[in-house]
Amino acid sequence: MRIGIVGVAHHHVDGYISALLGREDVEVVGVTDHDPHRLREWAGRHHVTLFPSLGALTAAGIQLAIVCSETNRHAGDVLRLVASSVGVLCEKPLATGINDATAMVAEAERGGVTLATAFPMRHSPVVVDARDAMAGGEIGSVLAISGVNAGQVPETHGSWFVDPVEAGGGAVMDHTVHLVDLFRMLLDSDPVEVYAETTDRLRPDLAVESGGLVAVTFDNGVTATIDCSWSRPTTYPTWGGLTFEVVGEQGVMVVDGFSDRLTVTSERYGTRLVDFGVDLDRRMIDDAIAAVRTSRSPAATGLDGLWATRVALAAYRSAADAAPVAVLESPVAE
Amino acid sequence: MTRLEDGGPAPLRIGVVGAGNMATTHAEAWEAAGEKLVAIHAPDSLGLPRLASVYGAEPTATLCDLLSQVDVVDVCTPTDTHLGTILAAAEAGRHIVCEKPLARTVGEATRAVEACSRAGVRLLVGHVVRFFPDYSTAKATVERGEIGEVGVLRLDRCTYAPGGDNTWFADRARSGGVILDLMIHDVDYAMWVAGPVVRVFGRRLARWADDAFAILRHASGAISHLHASWAYPTGVFRTRAEISGSQGLIEFSSDRPRGLVHLAPSAGEAPPVPRPPTAGLESPYHTQIRHFSQVLRGQGEPRVDAMEALAAVAVCEAVAESASTGRPVSLDEAEAAR
Repeated sequence: MRIGIVGVAHHHVDGYISALLGREDVEVVGVTDHDPHRLREWAGRHHVTLFPSLGALTAAGIQLAIVCSETNRHAGDVLRLVASSVGVLCEKPLATGINDATAMVAEAERGGVTLATAFPMRHSPVVVDARDAMAGGEIGSVLAISGVNAGQVPETHGSWFVDPVEAGGGAVMDHTVHLVDLFRMLLDSDPVEVYAETTDRLRPDLAVESGGLVAVTFDNGVTATIDCSWSRPTTYPTWGGLTFEVVGEQGVMVVDGFSDRLTVTSERYGTRLVDFGVDLDRRMIDDAIAAVRTSRSPAATGLDGLWATRVALAAYRSAADAAPVAVLESPVAE
Repeated sequence: MTRLEDGGPAPLRIGVVGAGNMATTHAEAWEAAGEKLVAIHAPDSLGLPRLASVYGAEPTATLCDLLSQVDVVDVCTPTDTHLGTILAAAEAGRHIVCEKPLARTVGEATRAVEACSRAGVRLLVGHVVRFFPDYSTAKATVERGEIGEVGVLRLDRCTYAPGGDNTWFADRARSGGVILDLMIHDVDYAMWVAGPVVRVFGRRLARWADDAFAILRHASGAISHLHASWAYPTGVFRTRAEISGSQGLIEFSSDRPRGLVHLAPSAGEAPPVPRPPTAGLESPYHTQIRHFSQVLRGQGEPRVDAMEALAAVAVCEAVAESASTGRPVSLDEAEAAR
């Protein structure tokens, strides 16, 4: 399979390229980015051919593109790729606005082109075990879920992460979507209402919120809360984590998505947690490749990405209004 | 204070109202603090004979009888009965220690505070979490400025529903349910650390068990997430806290590695009323009562102000109201800060 990289703004692209370069069955055709300096640096570091434009890259013939541009550029990139019948694995969140996200999903659907959202946590073994246990009725009917996807401020990965236009927001945009997606999958129910409180007190110098607490009510009546705060100091031994607790009638399930970590203390770096768990990026890319190859749905579709984006955007509306808001601003047909 | 022959101060004469779980705990703590349990008023309580005989205290037929024999009344009865006892004790000029929550409603709590203020007696409310060494050390760490300005708090308190003879807990009209009985600990702690609360959003998921979330907005702009549950499996009591600030983060949890781990085939029988795991040499209940005893002897100001105990009831009431209407509830900032 011929694969192209579109945008190297998101640091996850480094993990994706190492997953791709280790494979016999794919050819990384090249990379493009709107920032020529960044493009040259990245292409040189990973020994990947650089293309001056998205058009040049697609003209070289690719079947799958991995989009890691700034979030507000996702829609432009994805719509052009889809128009060229190139399948897409798009970094989360899908877009900074609902119209962009909706158009991306609609156009991919119309063209019969694969659009996958980069939600690697769907491939986490503990998440899969939790899903199977819940589906098997091990904790009975679900009452409530409390989730935390807290991390460091991602500005060290690029200033655009804390830019209200390029990222579309701060902690809420960055960290709400993963858990929303997992909760939708685990509950097999869609979110209907959102309440959120946000704060800038963790980093008052930023133009975006650094802390957020989001309560999401699902169609089946379950309420889940998400702490999406950038509450981990730069000196924290790891970037952050993803945990949630599902309260069921027959028991409680406590899930830690990143428990496979060594504690490493060195004179040089102090104490760090070093992941030794399953490479989720690799699994997600395997899945996207298989989806394109066999024309089946990826584990996380564009529509899944759209739902998660809707909740993040609803959280901003709620925080602004200090009131619960409907996830769907107006009823949509799907 | 009268003095005994050995030169030490005479023990305070304590009258406990109630003979259940918390009365037993407080009785032990009063003794440990060197005070004297002289009377117990708990008509019809199964625990009364044992408690009275252990401490040589007189079971009194009426509250009046108890009030006539004591310096301090310790209210350890179900929440909905607090106000009546407090009013009678204040009228009699007795200092009062009252188990949390201060009262069943904001109206009752307000009357309790006003009566005690008029009578010039102490009203010391048992927000015992402030005496847990992990929680109090975290508060002191924040006060030292080590984590900068507090931005986001997470406070969890998840356990099973009280059982045995303690059926009043399940009666929301009497106990206020998981919000007023359990979440109030973390409501009080959140306000102790991050200041008054101006807006509250609550979700209560009570089907077969009572479980509640709250999102609080503090006047400072800080936000808090609280989860209190009586829906966890029998025997479980998990507490967790996370305080994040502009310069750092404090995390602690009952799940942390313990100094002593006992690996046994069975955890044994769970107590009918769940009790949070404690750390440290002294039970936090003892620390709290020792502190109250010092305050009553004129040594220092109470760690828990009665107005703060009232504010905690007010926030819990707002959480419950929000949970029932589905809308956030704004609290009068001035009132919240009183």
